[in-house]
Amino acid sequence: MKKMQYPASVYALLAALVLLTVAGCERELEDLEPAAFPTTPEVFIDGFSPGLSYAAFGGSKVTAFEVDNEVKYQGAASMRFAVPDAGDPRGAYAGGGYFTAIGRDLSGYDALTFWARASKSATIDLVGFGNDFGEAKFQTVLRAVKVNTNWQKYIIPIPDPSKLKQERGMFFYSEGPEDELGYTFWIDELKFEKLGTIAHPRPFILEGQDQVFSVETGQQLNIGGLGVTFNMPTGIDQRIEAAASYFTFASSNPAAASVSSTGVVTVLDTGTTVITAKVGGTDAAGSMTLTSGGVATGPTVPAPVPTVNADSVISLFSNAYTNVTVDTWNTRWQFSTAEDFDIQVAGDDVKRYRALNFVGIEFTSQPIDARAMTHFHLDIWTPDPTELPKAFKVLLVDFGANGTFGGGDDTSHELSFTRPTLVSEQWVSLDIPLSSFTGLVNRGHLAQLVLSGDVPNLYLDNVYFYNAGSTAPSGPTVAAPTPTRGAADVISVFSDAYTNIPGTDFFPNWGQATTVSQIQIAGNNTLRYSGLNYQGTQFASSLDVSGMTHLHLDVWTSNSTALNVYTISPGPVEKAVALTVPTNGWSSVDIPLTQFSPVALANLIQFKFDGNGDIYLDNLYFYKAGSGGTAPTTAAPTPSFSAANVISVFSDAYTNVAGTDLNPNWGQATQVTQAPIAGNNTLIYTGLNYQGIQLGSEQNISSFTHLHLNVWTANSTALQVFIISPGPAEKPYTLTVPTSGWSSVNIPLTEFTPVVDLTKVFQFKFEGNGTIYLDNILFYK
Amino acid sequence: MKFHPSTLIRSTLLMALAGTVWSCGNNNGIVDREYALVWEDDFNGAAGQTPDAAKWAFDVGIGPGNDGWGNQELQFYTDRPENAALDGAGNLAITARRESYSGRAFTSARINTKGIFSQGYGRFEARIKMPWGPGLWPAFWMLGANIDEVTWPQCGEIDIMEYRGQEPNLIHGSVHGPGYSGGAAITKSFGFTDNRFDVDFHLFAVEWGEDYIDYFVDGTLYQRLKPEDLPGEWVFDQPFFIILNVAVGGNYVGFPTPQTPFPQTMLVDYVKVYQEIR
Repeated sequence: MKKMQYPASVYALLAALVLLTVAGCERELEDLEPAAFPTTPEVFIDGFSPGLSYAAFGGSKVTAFEVDNEVKYQGAASMRFAVPDAGDPRGAYAGGGYFTAIGRDLSGYDALTFWARASKSATIDLVGFGNDFGEAKFQTVLRAVKVNTNWQKYIIPIPDPSKLKQERGMFFYSEGPEDELGYTFWIDELKFEKLGTIAHPRPFILEGQDQVFSVETGQQLNIGGLGVTFNMPTGIDQRIEAAASYFTFASSNPAAASVSSTGVVTVLDTGTTVITAKVGGTDAAGSMTLTSGGVATGPTVPAPVPTVNADSVISLFSNAYTNVTVDTWNTRWQFSTAEDFDIQVAGDDVKRYRALNFVGIEFTSQPIDARAMTHFHLDIWTPDPTELPKAFKVLLVDFGANGTFGGGDDTSHELSFTRPTLVSEQWVSLDIPLSSFTGLVNRGHLAQLVLSGDVPNLYLDNVYFYNAGSTAPSGPTVAAPTPTRGAADVISVFSDAYTNIPGTDFFPNWGQATTVSQIQIAGNNTLRYSGLNYQGTQFASSLDVSGMTHLHLDVWTSNSTALNVYTISPGPVEKAVALTVPTNGWSSVDIPLTQFSPVALANLIQFKFDGNGDIYLDNLYFYKAGSGGTAPTTAAPTPSFSAANVISVFSDAYTNVAGTDLNPNWGQATQVTQAPIAGNNTLIYTGLNYQGIQLGSEQNISSFTHLHLNVWTANSTALQVFIISPGPAEKPYTLTVPTSGWSSVNIPLTEFTPVVDLTKVFQFKFEGNGTIYLDNILFYK
Repeated sequence: MKFHPSTLIRSTLLMALAGTVWSCGNNNGIVDREYALVWEDDFNGAAGQTPDAAKWAFDVGIGPGNDGWGNQELQFYTDRPENAALDGAGNLAITARRESYSGRAFTSARINTKGIFSQGYGRFEARIKMPWGPGLWPAFWMLGANIDEVTWPQCGEIDIMEYRGQEPNLIHGSVHGPGYSGGAAITKSFGFTDNRFDVDFHLFAVEWGEDYIDYFVDGTLYQRLKPEDLPGEWVFDQPFFIILNVAVGGNYVGFPTPQTPFPQTMLVDYVKVYQEIR
């Protein structure tokens, strides 16, 4: 490497530089200035100013902005913005921002100004500055900027220039099609200026309104509606939106409510607080007055976890189930003051309402078909007093077949709950039979739930419909099927249908843990074993059942996994027969007495059950099978009407109306089966209370003369048949029961008019009791 | 003060020039004059007090011709303190309000020294902060005291300051006389490029002698009128009285817009009148 030689003059120069440097070190401290950011005012004059970048907004047409060398206000170029037509696949609007990597000190200016024109008269949605694609702390927006085909000057005042020491957001814009049509606008000579002719800044918060809120500790509110109105050089006022960071917020009572630099108010304690603001020393119009009642009283434990099997549930709100779509938990109907909140109690999601006078909850977009459901459940909790006559009300609304509000097919019913059901400060589980909503005729298109009453503070959880028939936490909701055997063939221990043997002790003290009670289920006395380990039944005197063939019992359990029944004769001699548990609804069990061998059937003294769970029992009796009289053994007589003159609903002899539902869920207790009797399909109603038939299509029977049906019953004491047209319009016809063998009934249709519209028959209904066999239900002429 | 539709547009807007070339002092090449104070009102007094009746009279109503004071002005002038009163901080506040009153949509006030004080020649000055917003037309001006004998414009009119709310950076100085009144008045304007007359007080003055009227803003001479500049008779050799008012709307200023903020107040710190003593 060759060594370089410097001429003497170079050394002199270097020495001078050293001197200068030394001299520089002698500067006084006060000469030092803070690192300054550039004060460049130009954003776009004839091109991008130093350091300026452009980025299009998401969803916008990214090619909307281009530099235009043809159209310009002055100089060599302008900014051209091509607003797309509606439906442009490349982007729905024109929008983007211009920013610098290094902030600029704009504190010496008072406005961003530009000249603009457009290809047609239009209103640009917004322009502004302070959008740095980050925090946008000092974002300032001018909305609804009217442009036309002439170049005009536009001014966006800076709300408080002293704040803009290091601003990166130089300009941004957003504009969509006008009347679906795109157009072009141009902006030129875009720069910050010190105009001096903008005056009278009038900042405002909350759009200048004095707003009053009733709040509670922990609540957060955002102060919005921020801006400043300036008087422009033309003497007119112009409003701009200004970000919160331009404002200095103040709380009159910081112990009760604090306010952050970004205008977020946090309620800390009870008391009244007024939040106000200033921009650059000027008071802002508008204020937020908060009255805090302190900590809200609410549940500290979650609502009981539902135990109903998910298969039997349509849930609106519960962490235990998959919920259906609910459009809104607060429709905010006129005059409703309810506010709703999603909160958690010990990790469990809960709906909270405040100031609830009434609240609409809607699921109209996907109405609920609850026809297969029997109950509506909800858990509620209120801190409010619940002494009488304070009430909580539940209104269910069905929109009818048209699925929309109105149209004449809507039905609804409201139920009211008071003490002792309604209590304060504890979870109240409401399990409401849908049959209680008597006005709610239809349940195929439930679309609204309305809660109201005298509990303005309400916590709500586990809102769901369920079918209690398959499983329910509270036991059977329908009675066990009513026995149909002739009393002469029966020795009954426990049944409402027969005279029971007297003096039976259903709760002998054998040291068991089981709790025994007798409860009414749908008016039917039922034996309940709760927490079964074992349980005996002591007959008053020994029974001779040697003339009987079977032991019958009806059993219901949702939670038992083991259950045996024993008969016992002295010795004791006992024998267990296992029962199938849990049951699917009521299970009717008929056990041949031979299975209890070697128990002495002529000398029975006791029953015993052992196993686990909660057991419901009914109709414990011995009977003698094969003696007849409980069911028809022959087929109903085959009708001989000409098929051309018949509309048949249920018959093997004709083609029946297609799509007919023989067991629509109208909330009935009746069990419906079809069974061949002597090869002929027969409709069987067991334990009838009422039962509908939904025709597959509306039938015009106005040209027909009679309703025909065959009926057989050994034990019914009341039976009516209805035909129904929409409305519903229905009229009963009383049938003679019990029957002696198959009864053929021909009812003139005039028995049903004029109540029923014979041109639109769509349903049948039977009401009464007992076990009914039906066949050949048809209209003829 | 009559309608002058295009005078302003034709007149030379001094604008930038005024602020730069002639901003070097009071004399502006004119021989120094020495004045002695002869009349003043500094508007000191309790807030809400109406202007001193020993110095000022109210013009009330919509003008003698029921025509908005000859200019289709929209306001009804009252003598209520709501429209003219001391502000307690040493100023007179003449306040225009948007309110229904005697068939008009606005109220305001106009006060004058007619029959109380008038003077020919001298220096007439007032320190004023303007109202703002389209349609507001405040003025500090004078009429010949012989107006009832010779009628306007023969009596002469010297407008020391007029202002339009939609041009908050401009004021105008004018004279009206026979052959040059209303739209044909002789006018010049003074403007700021980077300031406005409604954000702070400014001093408006004329210095008036036998053969000149000089117009000043904050000590800056922006217009000198001499008899030979006038297209008609020089009618400025007799006493004039002083008027302060805020008009709303009218031919000169145009309508207020729905966005014009009301109430709007002209604040007058003082009015002073001098006689030349040398």
